[in-house]
Order: sequence, then C-alpha cells, then structure tokens
Amino acid sequence: MSSWRHFIESRRFGELAPIPKAICYALLALWSTIVLFPLYWVFVTSFKEPVDVAYPPKFLPFIDFQPSLHAWRYIFVDLGNDTFRPYANSLIVASVSTLLAVLIGSMAAYALSRIEYKPKLGSVISFILLLAAAIIAVVYWQVDWRLAVVVAVVIFLLLLRALGRHFKRHLGNGDILFWIISQRILPPVVAAIPIYVMFQHVGLLDTHAALIITYTTINLPIVVWLMFDFFAAIPRDLEESAQLDGASRYRIFLGIVLPLAKPGLIAASLLVLILAWNEYLLALFLSTARAQTIPLLVAAQNATRGPQWWYMSVLIIIMIAPVLALTIFLQKYIAKGLLLGAVKG
Amino acid sequence: MTVVLDRISKSFGAMTVLHELSLSVQAGEFMVLLGPSGCGKTTALRMIAGLETVTSGRIEIDGRDVTEVAPKNRDIAMVFQSYALYPHMTVAENIAYPLVIRRTGRSDIDRQVRDVAAQVQLDSYLDRYPRQLSGGQRQRVALARAIIRRPAVFLMDEPLSNLDAKLRGHMRAELKHMQHALGITTIYVTHDQVEAMTLAHRVAVLNKGRPQQIDTPRQIYEDPANLFVAGFIGSPPMNFVDGDLMDGLFQSVGGRLPTSVRSSHGKVVLGFRPEDCRIAAPDEAGSLRGSIYSIELIGDHVLVTCRVGGQSITIKVEKNFSADIGAEIGIAVAAERTYLFEAESGQRLR
Amino acid sequence: MRLSFSDWLDRQADRLFILPAVLILLTFSIFPLLISAYLALSRFQLTAGGYQLRFVGWLNFKKLLFGGEQYHFLGVFVPVPWYGWLLLALVILLLARSIAQYIRSGKPTLFGLIGRAVTTAAILALALLLAATIGAGGQLGSLSVTVIYVAVGVTCQLLIGLGLAMLCSQNIRCRGFFRVVFFLPLMVTPVGIAYTFRMLADMTQGPLAGLWRFVGLGDLSWASQAWSARLVVMVGDTWQWTPFIFIVLLAAIEGQSREQVEAASLDGASYWQIFRDVTWPEIAPVASTIVLIRVIEAFKIVDLPNVLTNGGPGIATESLTLHSFINWRALDLGGSAAVAYMLLIVSTVLCASFFNYVMQPMRSRRQ
Repeated sequence: MSSWRHFIESRRFGELAPIPKAICYALLALWSTIVLFPLYWVFVTSFKEPVDVAYPPKFLPFIDFQPSLHAWRYIFVDLGNDTFRPYANSLIVASVSTLLAVLIGSMAAYALSRIEYKPKLGSVISFILLLAAAIIAVVYWQVDWRLAVVVAVVIFLLLLRALGRHFKRHLGNGDILFWIISQRILPPVVAAIPIYVMFQHVGLLDTHAALIITYTTINLPIVVWLMFDFFAAIPRDLEESAQLDGASRYRIFLGIVLPLAKPGLIAASLLVLILAWNEYLLALFLSTARAQTIPLLVAAQNATRGPQWWYMSVLIIIMIAPVLALTIFLQKYIAKGLLLGAVKG
Repeated sequence: MTVVLDRISKSFGAMTVLHELSLSVQAGEFMVLLGPSGCGKTTALRMIAGLETVTSGRIEIDGRDVTEVAPKNRDIAMVFQSYALYPHMTVAENIAYPLVIRRTGRSDIDRQVRDVAAQVQLDSYLDRYPRQLSGGQRQRVALARAIIRRPAVFLMDEPLSNLDAKLRGHMRAELKHMQHALGITTIYVTHDQVEAMTLAHRVAVLNKGRPQQIDTPRQIYEDPANLFVAGFIGSPPMNFVDGDLMDGLFQSVGGRLPTSVRSSHGKVVLGFRPEDCRIAAPDEAGSLRGSIYSIELIGDHVLVTCRVGGQSITIKVEKNFSADIGAEIGIAVAAERTYLFEAESGQRLR
Repeated sequence: MRLSFSDWLDRQADRLFILPAVLILLTFSIFPLLISAYLALSRFQLTAGGYQLRFVGWLNFKKLLFGGEQYHFLGVFVPVPWYGWLLLALVILLLARSIAQYIRSGKPTLFGLIGRAVTTAAILALALLLAATIGAGGQLGSLSVTVIYVAVGVTCQLLIGLGLAMLCSQNIRCRGFFRVVFFLPLMVTPVGIAYTFRMLADMTQGPLAGLWRFVGLGDLSWASQAWSARLVVMVGDTWQWTPFIFIVLLAAIEGQSREQVEAASLDGASYWQIFRDVTWPEIAPVASTIVLIRVIEAFKIVDLPNVLTNGGPGIATESLTLHSFINWRALDLGGSAAVAYMLLIVSTVLCASFFNYVMQPMRSRRQ
C-alpha cells in the first residue's frame, strides 16, 4: 500500500512523483506533436510530386517517397516575379507600418503615462460633430474634400474658445487610454468599405501607402496598450534630472526613455509585425494587383490551383519562415510584454 | 520536540553553500542562526523545512529521520520573511487555512482561530484583508497561522527585517514572550546580531557556509571562538589592532600591551571591546598611543574614535567627556579584557 | 524675449506627443463609422453611368431580422428541441442568480441596473435564438455561428492554454523547448493554417486518412456536414490561438509569489489545493484580461471559414465578417454594412458586459 503511494505522491518539495511526472511529459509531448505535425506535413508536402500526394499518405522523405524540388522551382523560377512582388510588398508594408505604429503609439503611450491631459468634453464633441458634418458635406453634396476640411478646422478653432469657457467638464487620461484601446473592438469589416471609398477618392487604391496607413491605424491601439505599462514602470528620476540639465522632451524620450523600454518595444514591434504580415481582410479590400501581399497570393491560389498541395505548401512555408525565425529568437520578449499588459490592463 | 542536524551540507552544482552544519536543539529552546547574507543560514532553515533537498547529512525531528520526508509531514510551521499571506483571504481565513486543509470541523476552526487571534491581539482584525493591515499586523497574522497548528518546531526566516526600527524592538519582546509562553522549539534566522542576542537561548554563528561558534549569547559575547565572531557580535564592534605577540607581550605600531596569553606567536590581532578600555595619558605605560579622530555624543555615553597607527579604535567614555580633535591620547585596557587571534586563520589564542 | 522655433516646439511637446495618435484614431474611427452607418441605411445599385446610392432607412436591417436575409443572419426557426430547453433553462438560471446577487449586494444604482438589463436581454436573446434554430431541420444563421465560434473556441483555448501552462510550470526539463514550440502556431498566417488543415483533414489523401478509415469514417466528407465543418474551423482556430493564452498564463504562473506556494505546501495543501487557493486567485485577473482580448479578436474571425470551407456547406460556417464580405462581393453594399454594424453592436455589448461584470469584480476583489 505504501509503495503504491510512493509512485503517486511526491516526496520532495517542488518535485513531481514518478507517475504524475510521466503523465506530464506525455501530455506535453502530445501537444508538441499536435503543434509540430501540421508544420512538418506542410514542409514535407512541398517536396512531393503530385503522385506522392495521393492515398496512401507518405510521411517520410527518402523512405516513403523521393523528394523533388519541382514545386520550389515552379514557385521561384517559373512564377518568379509573381512570387517576389507580393513578398516584397508584404515586407515593405509590414515593416513600415510597424515602424510608424510603434513610433506614434509609444509617443502617445509615453505622453499618457507622464502628462495629465484634461480634454474638455465640449471640444471633443464639437470635433466629432464637425468631422461628421464635413464628411456628410463631401458625400452628400459633393463638396470638394479639401474645402470641407479647411472649413471644419476653422470652425473648430473658433468654437474652441467659446466652448472652453462654458463647458468645464473634462475627461482624463484613463478615458483617453480606454478609448484608444477600445478601438480594437471595431471589426475591420465595418471600416473596410468606407476606407476603400476614401482611398479611391484620393486615388491611393492598390498602393503601398494605403495599406501602410491602414495597418498603422489598426495596430496603434496595441502598441499604446503594451507600451503604457512599460513607460509607467520607468522611474521619473532619470527624466527629471535630464530636464534639469536642459534636455527637451524629445531628446529625453529618444535618448533615455526608449532605450529603457527596449523589451516592451521589441514585444510590441514583433506583435504588430506579425499582425501586419498576416493581415488578410483589409488587404483583400484595398489591393488588387500591384500592392498584393502574400496572404492574398496564398488565398488566390485556391481558385487557380485548388488541391495542388505541393505549390500551396511552398507558398505557406515562405510565408511563415521569416516570422517563425524572428519569433524563435525574440519569443521571450513577447511573453513579458503581453504579461505586463494583461496584469495592468 | 528536539531537532538534530547531523553534518548537513548543501551544494548547488560545484558551489557548496553549507558545509557540514551539526546542531542539536533542545525541546523548547530558541535557537538563532546568525550570520551575514550569503552565509547559508536561510538555506539551512529551508533544509529543515524540507523546501530544499539535503546534499548530505541527516535531519531528525523528535528522533524521527525526516531527511526524505515531505515538508507537510514534518510537523513544522514557518513564518516567511514576506509573511506569505494569501491576499484574497481575510485574516480569519488566512489563519484558518492549515486547519481547513486538514478538514477540521467548522466550529472547531472558528474557536481555535479566535483563541489564537486573541493571543496575538488580532481579535478585532479578523474580517480585514492583508492589504488593509500594517506591517506589524501582517506579521502577527503570519505568526497566528503558524501557532494554530501547534507544530513540533517553529521556523522563522528573518520575520522582523521588513519592520521599521521602533516596531522591531516592540515585536522582539512580543516574540520572546510568546515563545516562552508556548514553549515550542524555535529555529530563527537573522542577520541582526541584536535580535540574536536578545531572543536566543543559543546562537549558531555562520559565515560563508561554515559554522563558526554555537553557544549561548553571553558566551559568544565574552568568549568568541574566532576573529569573525568577535567582530560580528557587539555594537559598536570590537576594536582590532594588528601586531606581534612576544612572550605574552603584544607589540604593535601603536604601542605595547601586556596580554593574558603566555607565548610567542608571530603575527596576531589584538581585540578589545570599546567598553573595556579607557582613555589614558599619551605616554602611560602599557597603553596604545593614538590621536582623536571624532567624538560622538550618543546620549548616555560618548564614543571617541581614535586613529592608532592607521587603524580605528573606538572607546566608550562617560557622557561629559570633551577633548580636541587631533589630540594625542593613550588607550589603556586590562590584560584580562583582551582577546588574541592568529592573524592568518582568525583562530582564538588562549 | 524672442521665442525660437525649438523653444516653441518644446512647449508644444505635450500636445505633439499625443496628437498624431489621437488624430489618426479619431479620423479612422469616426469616419468609417459614419460612412458605414450611411451605407447601412441605403441601397447600392449599379447604373448605366456608374453607381447609385439611395437612402432607404431601416430596410437593410429589417431584411436581416425579419425579411429576406433572415435565414442568413438569424437562421431558420424550428420547434425547440429538448436540449434547447435545457440550454435556455441554464442561461436563465445563471442570469437570474447574477441579478439577484447584484440587488442583494446592497448598492444597486440606476446605471448599474440599466447596464445589467441590457446585458441580460442580449444574452437571453442569443440563447433564445440558438435554442430556436438548433433543432432538426433548422439552420443556424451567421450570428449564432459567430457566437458559437467565440464561446466554444475561447473556452477551449482557455482550458487547453491553462492546462499547458500548468504543465509547463512544473519542474521539468526542456521547458524552454516546449515554450518555443507551443508558441509557434501563433506565427502562422491564418490563411496558411486554413490550407494546412484542409490538407490534414482530407479524408482520402491526408495523413490521417488511414486513421479515418480505421475508425470507419473514411467515407465522411467533413466539408459537407454543417457541424463537422464548424468543428474543423474551431479546431484550426484553437490550434492557432491557444499559444496566445498559454504564453501569458505561463508567465503569470511563473511570476507568482513563491513564498505563498511554499507556505501553503507546508500547511499541508496538495497540488490541487494550492492551485485552487493560491495560484488561481493570483492569475485570475490576468486570465480574464487575456480572455477578453481573445474574445474581442475572436468576433472578427474570417480567414479560416473563408479559406477552409468558403462559408459552407451553404452558410453553415459563415461568421458575421464573412457574411458581410460575401454581401460586399455580391455588390450589396448596404447589406454588407448592415451586417458589419450588427457585428459591431453584438461584440461591443458582449465585450463591455464581460469587462464590467466579470473583470471588474475580479479586479476589485484583489485591489
């Protein structure tokens, strides 16, 4: 009886008894298989000839089937440009939008963590109303959009003074932060058509610029959410002593604060990069030929190639390879960043 | 409820943290493990608790070999440095937790919780949460949680170090009284020698993983086994002067002193306590010669620091003493009040 | 005293730091919302010269809820089966209990009651919808399907992610290896995942074909059955998103106070008791936050159903976003915007409810 318990109850602190430990390893191995097998299958399939894809399924290269590079050759050589262009587009769009999102977002997060804002409710409401009026004017009455913007701005500035005196109620940093983060709830599909219309109006459809602007916008909230806690955790003494020495806010931000928040920046950048790299819906709406990104290329294969798994596999591999490599190196930072955001957030 | 440590050692890979500590704690005794940080005292405590494995040696509690026994089966209770209170439970629930785990009856639990809370004067705080309590109150909750189990041994890991100085003094008295009243064998870890001296029945002084001396506070104070113990205990610390021993006569740059050790020994260190020396005329026979460096009024006495041949000597004098900084003086100390240590090994010469 | 440009710039720093973000977000949230609202209230038609947008009021919404698009959005109604009644009973019980608790807790405010009324009505309506469309012969609309994706999907991801985190936080070797491996699925693009799982789930040619034949399902075409298709979508979704929850919970478990765990262990608590009494209370706020984030994102699911099954069979796997996209493709801009708005409303109400009634109480209990 007691020897049976010996296998189930742990003797030492922090150590598992043999049987629970074995179960633990078994379960972990099981999930590892679940994770790795699909990736392995894709990898292996990219080296298969069409005949090797038919039943029965073949698992091991050199043993079950002879690997061949025909799919790789086709995608890279035969389709050459058709493959490289979306790849380059994805690279450009993802990296530029990440850079912008991280820059603008961390500036905003830093400001929210250091400066107390008190935007008056009146001016916020009037800004919204004026923007709405301008949009309605452009759409309904075909007013030139540049004219509408100028008029709206002028009226806003005029109103600002008057409102400032009458409506004293203001919002705080918490409200601003909550509003920024809640932008994530907005489903992209709600914004897709209007954004499409807007870019078409301005002539930016199917360009890098359109995608970059859009991705920067939708990923800003994430950067703000993550970076806010990092900045809040940095003690102010360093900045205050720099201020006494005469440094401007910009210099303090770039030279002192950003280097200290490096883990958070890495986490945020990686997360945003991945989101931008994998983004599908908005790219679908906003680009057709020239600015096509890789997710679109992969999805489009469906129509032309249907179950041509070998080509699909190659495309999937080149799509996930860079992200995979980056992640393996920087995975620690993401965990820390996400945790910090979740604890305070 | 005796505790016996039989040459326990702990190594992490190639690094040995504790070397062969042997200790025998009597029932009801208050044993203090004292030493600077990194000396291995907390490791020793955690090994007794079972939170660390023992690399070699044996641990016995009440005659039972518990070296391989899980912590919860050793019948011990521990008060952690950070108190380790459960933040989402009330004070009452925190204290009751050990009993709840053991499935004691509800009414029984309530009664015992109230008893113990009264003992530590927490009766009116039973419904509060830890975050609403002060440091001293949290510490008492941790104590109550340990007491309620009526363990064979209490283990305490620097429980007073997170309190401010005044509260620390108050809690020291409380702890001492409580341990005496309950009579539970206690092993207490601290780096504060005042706590050790005031609380302990016996003190085990550790340095760099090696036990230095295990004795009553008085013995440790008056009869230190080596240089480390002599310098660690006592506030202000013992004065040390380098020199040679020739036929019972201590010779140094600052002068000569007769000692109670009848031999010759080459390089030695002479030690004597600030309260055992007095200020004498600069050229008095059998005294050291130095100049006054600073004078501090403590309140009921004055501390005079002097420089003797490059080393600092502190002398405790009566509160009305006054002199000029830089004045030449003599420092006299009776031979029986001196201690001699070998310069190399630090061992006490008798 | 003359102000140099750099001085002026420095004084404006406070505003300049936050202005770009605020302006961008304001423009891109107000603008699309308004345009979408306008589109949702109008009808788009291609005409000889280009296109025409005609204001039609609530027509699009009426179509979704009561008219021609009802089968697509809400589903086909049939008599409620016995498990439908069970579900309803359960939901009503939980809602009633939570409201009773609130009222009894002493300080009900008008705002609080209104908020809870809205949440209760929303949840009740969804439960009713589910119960009324789930029976034999009925059909689930995109609204129900999305809610199922979110509820079932996120629950599975939480349970698996928590389980993995607990396993990985034990004293085992190769912890770093497991951590990296478990994190990988998050990196794969959803489109890629969809194709990969299509390959894997292929009954005749996939790697598991042998397994299916062995179990006797070799002739089953999962893509032609509503529930099996939905299952595959959810499997793909869970495969991808479990790492997100896993990685955060693992960090949370590893970051908990070691001394509390040791104290509980000394007091005699077993592993499960320690988890219930020490670990879970500590990580619960983090878990709820990460669940909220996951729920917010889950409502937007579109890549998987689109590529895996194209919304099929029929409309069985269509999520709300996919529904909206399909309308757009069919040039029904008004309908597309209407569905998008319904998605916005539903997800906002449910996310806000979760935040207020699950997360805040958890937060205030700890704080």
